[in-house]
Amino acid sequence: MLPKRVRMVAQIIPEKCTGCRLCEQVCPTVAIGMRPRLESEPGKGRNIAILEPEACYNAQACVEICPDDAIEMVELDEPFDVGFTLPQVDEDAVKALCRKAGYGRNMQICVCTDTKAGEIATAIISGAHSPEAVSLMTGARTGCVELCMQPILHLLSCAGHGDAARNPKNGFQWYGESATLWQHVQPDGTLPDFIAEAFPEYPLDKEFGDMAKLKRR
Amino acid sequence: MGTLSPFLDALRPPAFHRTWNKREPGTVVKKRAADLPNMTALPIRSLMPDLPQTIWSEDALLGPTNLDEVRRQAQAKADAIDWSKIEAGRMVNLIANPHGLQLCGEAYVTMLEVIAAHIKETRGAKVRLRIAESMGHIENPDWVKIYRLEERFGDVEECPQMGAGTKVDTKLGDMYVTKKLFDAPYFIHTHVTEMREGYLHRMLDRLMKPFGMAYARLESRSAYHFGFGPRTGQIVSRCIFESDFIQDRYVATMVLDTTSEGVVSVEADNDLKALDKRLAAGIMRNYAMAMKILGEIKDCVVVFDDHGCGVYCYAGGIAFDNMLCADVDFMDLDNLSLLAAERHDSAEPGLTMGKNNAIKAIVINYMAGGVPQPFLWDNYPVHVVGDTVNRWMLNDPSNYHFDRAKAPVWPTIDEAVAAACRDGGTENVIVFDRTPGAFRVSRKLGEHLMSRAPAVREKVENVFLPKWLRQRGLAS
Repeated sequence: MLPKRVRMVAQIIPEKCTGCRLCEQVCPTVAIGMRPRLESEPGKGRNIAILEPEACYNAQACVEICPDDAIEMVELDEPFDVGFTLPQVDEDAVKALCRKAGYGRNMQICVCTDTKAGEIATAIISGAHSPEAVSLMTGARTGCVELCMQPILHLLSCAGHGDAARNPKNGFQWYGESATLWQHVQPDGTLPDFIAEAFPEYPLDKEFGDMAKLKRR
Repeated sequence: MGTLSPFLDALRPPAFHRTWNKREPGTVVKKRAADLPNMTALPIRSLMPDLPQTIWSEDALLGPTNLDEVRRQAQAKADAIDWSKIEAGRMVNLIANPHGLQLCGEAYVTMLEVIAAHIKETRGAKVRLRIAESMGHIENPDWVKIYRLEERFGDVEECPQMGAGTKVDTKLGDMYVTKKLFDAPYFIHTHVTEMREGYLHRMLDRLMKPFGMAYARLESRSAYHFGFGPRTGQIVSRCIFESDFIQDRYVATMVLDTTSEGVVSVEADNDLKALDKRLAAGIMRNYAMAMKILGEIKDCVVVFDDHGCGVYCYAGGIAFDNMLCADVDFMDLDNLSLLAAERHDSAEPGLTMGKNNAIKAIVINYMAGGVPQPFLWDNYPVHVVGDTVNRWMLNDPSNYHFDRAKAPVWPTIDEAVAAACRDGGTENVIVFDRTPGAFRVSRKLGEHLMSRAPAVREKVENVFLPKWLRQRGLAS
């Protein structure tokens, strides 16, 4: 497993922060909380965001969502590595979970951090039972999140943790699994007729054949 | 415009803007690749003389730069669209995307202005501008400020896809969209027809793509990549667009139809599927030559000198993904062409792609971050110009692996390109600097591409296009 070197962390600008909680709701590693604004502190809002720096993995989701430009990324004098080592777990269990999810163990799930399906599965088996716990253990889901969100949710679901509670409760760093084509594949390896009828322009049969060919390689 | 002379050295790349995260590439980048010795601009029109004329181009060397015709056509289309669904006094979300602003600038904003004014005037409705974003603060210049969008539209908001979502019931099950894009009783979809991510949309429901990408929440956007095959990801876009939730709110679509040189027309319809079908053949025809000529490059150094991130840097009006996959015909629906060949030693045309062996090295003069590009860092020698740009690359949360490239950092672009050419054993250079209408290339490479153009043109006309159109049930 390759480490992800965290070179930057978020920094809250208290006088700009309004305590709107959006940053708290999107942080993939739940590194942001709120504290009361002191009477002596200038700015609007009763609360100010507060960062737990060691849980900040430079995802920058907070910067993206902040409507008040109240968060900046600052370079660390001493970068730190995350996802460097994972706990030892039963390799057969890792294989079984990946198989159940339909992913090869070495399939790249989080492209930003180069985290493989087997590494996500290892984290889940060793106790990471929510997306944020997976992120904290592996570093995955701390980049663009455009690729890794669904497969991480799917692996969690296959491991029996599809009902993880949201953290924070009203947060939206993730919702549920999104529908896929693969979930509709029938035991005989075909798709139900309604899908072929709904999308006649798409080369569905060929897609399945070629994907299977690739998997066999 | 008649046929341009083979080379158009006067054509300049657009200037760098300040980015949303306050970076100033225009100050940091000391020299553009266009100013390297022996570089030229090879007009796409020299390769394809029958390219349709533009009604708006970013550069006067390519066509008109005034916005009169864009405005006139947008108004004519607005007059022809049925807006009766919109009730007076209610809110309409006019949805825009950064690619339109990036590629078509004022022409895109003009189209948006015409729509907004028309809806307010004819329907008595309220209109607000909603811009669909991904990691916008890293990827994009600050379009709201650059085009004074708040001043021109009033209520404007950039809506990142990690924002709150809405669950949508679709034919295949639950999918998720960005809540703020669809939180009004109505919305209007806008787009540009350019050839970006052809390896993903495969010109199937092309104009619906944002529904499965920019408008989708991260759950569904990632399902597009991981829950479908490379030729079927667009089913996500179709599912979301055809859902009751979206159809209840959808009113119409207006797009800028583009070529490498700029905008050729404004098109619109209430029926998005019909509009897509009407434009698809033209889109493929207009971009085929620019796409396929890149496959004639046998060895080269690629220089990034643009606001895009890797595969989203542009040259001659097309994105670098077309160069990365130039050795594969990914428009051929018989080819799986899965962009997942990062761990393969070479691409396997037909099944996987992602390493074009013609690329011998990469130079980064400037590029944005925000989208992972390990297939660049792992497959090619990389050279960087300047410590600041190198630091920006290392700090990119989407490219943790950039340090694996162990890229030498050079004080000047001249030294970086010279080293890349030396290491790559090539003198050919192609630059992705967003110059519209022309490939910025070293002169010798330009001459080579000119010499190959007739044969490529013949293959495009007689082999590629007929097959692409036939596979999609489109008339030739």
